[in-house]
Amino acid sequence: MGIELNRRNFLSAAVSAAGLVAMGPLLSACGGGGPSRAGVNSEAGLKAVLPTYVPNTSIKPDIPSIAGGPDVLTDPGFLGYPTNRVVTVSGVPGKGGKYSAVTPLWGTIPPADNSFYQAMNKALGVELQVKPADGNNYNTIIPTMTAAKKLPDWINLPGWWNPQFNTGGLVGNQLADLTPYLSGDNIKKYPNLAAIPTAAWRAGAWGDKLYGIPSFSTGFKVAGVVFYRRDVLEAKGITADQVKSADDLMNLGKELTDAKAGVWAFDDVYRYVYTSFGAPLKWKVDNGKLIHLYETSEFLDAADWHRKLALAGYVHPDALAGDNAGANTRFYGGKTLIGGGGQGAWNLADLQAGQAANPNYRRGAFNFFAADGKSTPRVDMGQSTDIVSYLNINLKPEQIEECLAVANYLAAPFGSAEYTMVNFGVEGMHFTMKDGVPTPTEAGMKEVQAKTYPFLAAPPSVVNNPTGDIVTKDLTAWQAANVKALAKPVFWGMNISMPQAQATAEAAQPVEDTLKDVIHGKKSIQDLKDSVANWKSSGGGDRLIQWMNDNVLQKFGTGQ
Amino acid sequence: MTLPAVVLLLVFNYVPLFGLATAFQEYDPLAGVWQSPWAGFYQFERLLNDSLFWGALRNTLWLSFVQLILFFPVPIALALLLNSVLSERIRNFIQSVVYLPHFFSWVLAITIFQQMLGGAGALNQFLRSNDIGTWDIMTNPDTFALLVTSQVIWKEAGWGIIVFLAALAAINTDLYEAAAADGAGRLRRLWHITLPGLRSVIVLMLVLRLGNALTVGFEQFLIQRNAVGHDTAEVLDTFSFYYGIATGDYSYGAAAGLFKSVISLLLIWGANKLAHAFGEDGLYRK
Repeated sequence: MGIELNRRNFLSAAVSAAGLVAMGPLLSACGGGGPSRAGVNSEAGLKAVLPTYVPNTSIKPDIPSIAGGPDVLTDPGFLGYPTNRVVTVSGVPGKGGKYSAVTPLWGTIPPADNSFYQAMNKALGVELQVKPADGNNYNTIIPTMTAAKKLPDWINLPGWWNPQFNTGGLVGNQLADLTPYLSGDNIKKYPNLAAIPTAAWRAGAWGDKLYGIPSFSTGFKVAGVVFYRRDVLEAKGITADQVKSADDLMNLGKELTDAKAGVWAFDDVYRYVYTSFGAPLKWKVDNGKLIHLYETSEFLDAADWHRKLALAGYVHPDALAGDNAGANTRFYGGKTLIGGGGQGAWNLADLQAGQAANPNYRRGAFNFFAADGKSTPRVDMGQSTDIVSYLNINLKPEQIEECLAVANYLAAPFGSAEYTMVNFGVEGMHFTMKDGVPTPTEAGMKEVQAKTYPFLAAPPSVVNNPTGDIVTKDLTAWQAANVKALAKPVFWGMNISMPQAQATAEAAQPVEDTLKDVIHGKKSIQDLKDSVANWKSSGGGDRLIQWMNDNVLQKFGTGQ
Repeated sequence: MTLPAVVLLLVFNYVPLFGLATAFQEYDPLAGVWQSPWAGFYQFERLLNDSLFWGALRNTLWLSFVQLILFFPVPIALALLLNSVLSERIRNFIQSVVYLPHFFSWVLAITIFQQMLGGAGALNQFLRSNDIGTWDIMTNPDTFALLVTSQVIWKEAGWGIIVFLAALAAINTDLYEAAAADGAGRLRRLWHITLPGLRSVIVLMLVLRLGNALTVGFEQFLIQRNAVGHDTAEVLDTFSFYYGIATGDYSYGAAAGLFKSVISLLLIWGANKLAHAFGEDGLYRK
């Protein structure tokens, strides 16, 4: 189970699998000269172009941010919904241009040309044809567009797929350079974009130029969190601060698993715990030597720990059968009590979905711990955001300016009039005010809550769960308790674009496949070692490490 | 009138063949086919030295063989069985019931299997609650071939009987009456009239099946790949997908696809030759 299929990606897969990989290449065959790749951001070069940060202070949060290290900051919390809807954009930003946009959507795709889209077009003053595409298959949909050089005018390219999308090769070839419009003080023309912290713009910067517009940026970015059913565990007298090591977590498996009752302690949590063993997200530099995750003993330790977890019978069988799509259902239904996920999973919708299954439902997260229980917990911080949108290179300068004006509207700060429009729609049609909180109507649920526009541009993240303040308090408290653990890994925010052969080696499909078998208890650690050895020698691994060393580490340093 | 069909065939089946060129390149989607550097047979060299590829080929052939033995006869038997049911109502009812799963997607079919037979499914929860121990069906690599074949039988056997039923309907009923008058029993009539009447269709289906020996399905394996591990569930099509498309290594995927196509062509040619050698029509009459 687990791989999410739809007709579209099946078609693309079937076409290629049948030996006719050709559609894309054929269409792109008439393209121009060979592409130059954008290369890597250098610290000095990038600093010269990064936009000026002009924070917006018109709306004050109830729970202010807490600073950790450099560029580390918890998200501000808002209880309820701001009553004073500040207007930040006067008039309509657009001049009647017509644009197409593609964004990922993890949910049900709303009907095309619905009343919300129409209202947005009116508010924006452009005809923006938004085409949300299934988020689970986004990584297979986009390459067919880029191969055919048929990107829409405005597209979201999530950063975790940068290697597969070859975003570094697309910028400047298929995606427009926004540096002239946004660098330094130029951004002040778009005050809401200027209110996005400087660090966030690094996510869309390539080769010391600005290309991407960041959405949902945050100063508290981690790869994932280990969640638990706070209601269930607390009823058993278990609190988050009791888990201080990997052993503590393993012990919960025994305590909580009751297979006869259909309850397993864990879902698949490997991705969310491996760094606690001291393994880097992907790279680390030790005494000047570049080391890949796969070369570390901590990587093997983490895999072995999860393997034991699976073999002990503490992981839900469906998770071991590879069904990730059902993880939430299992968690809500109390079939699993501990699972992993992004912080994005911790919100009002989650509370409502959980409470529908169990009125006591409450999500909690364990604090970051060091696996040995002794070292200082440390977690590699991710880029400020992974949600970055880009404009098509074929747009004319005045069209780019129009799109940026639209982006400025979309990035209006939380609680403003524009934010309310983008996130809740038209009052009376898509939402009504209930107890001071915008509450989606049925049309609003279908058309607005399937979030689309924020994937083009959005203000920095805040924590707000109207009618679910408990979530806001829990999440902000958890962030505050963990803010000291966040640290920048090597190459943070450098956006490395690499040649295809290296990108393939970095994807390391054979190792990832073996890893999955190992952490699900089907293969041994020796198999993993063999797979890594094979990857290094004949899978391009050694060449990747060499390439990263020669072209990134030696030339640009670690970015720290 | 045939023009639209010809155009369709050209556009979707023949023109894309041009893209096979990528199998001989270091294809870069940004550069396109014209600008990508040529690599000769490098991708095929990689392929033949890749133990994962050989594993996928082995799995494909093994699954194909198991399906040939266990699945191929099922629709024939089912068609014969249905044909012997006299009541048209009962026949239509059974036919509808066995047809139905064909219209389910693989995602749904496998979800049903997982819900019934999975580690936390109905069967195992029953066994668990009665302290009988559990039966690992959905994630056991050793019995995976039987599992997928039973899935195929459940989903596709009903659909497969259509062509055989049509062939059965074409058999002259006078022959049965004459044979019955001569004292031939049920089995004799089956052996001397029904099966010879079906033979050319069975051979045709067999030739097609052999030609498709390297195509055992895609979604079914894609979905269950994580459950039993890629060592067992990787078939050529998922190999092309994971090691070609998913990692952006298009040339490699194209090479694997082309390899598969060439072998398939040889297989179908061979099977057709064999059919002719036995005096059957095969794909076409000689």
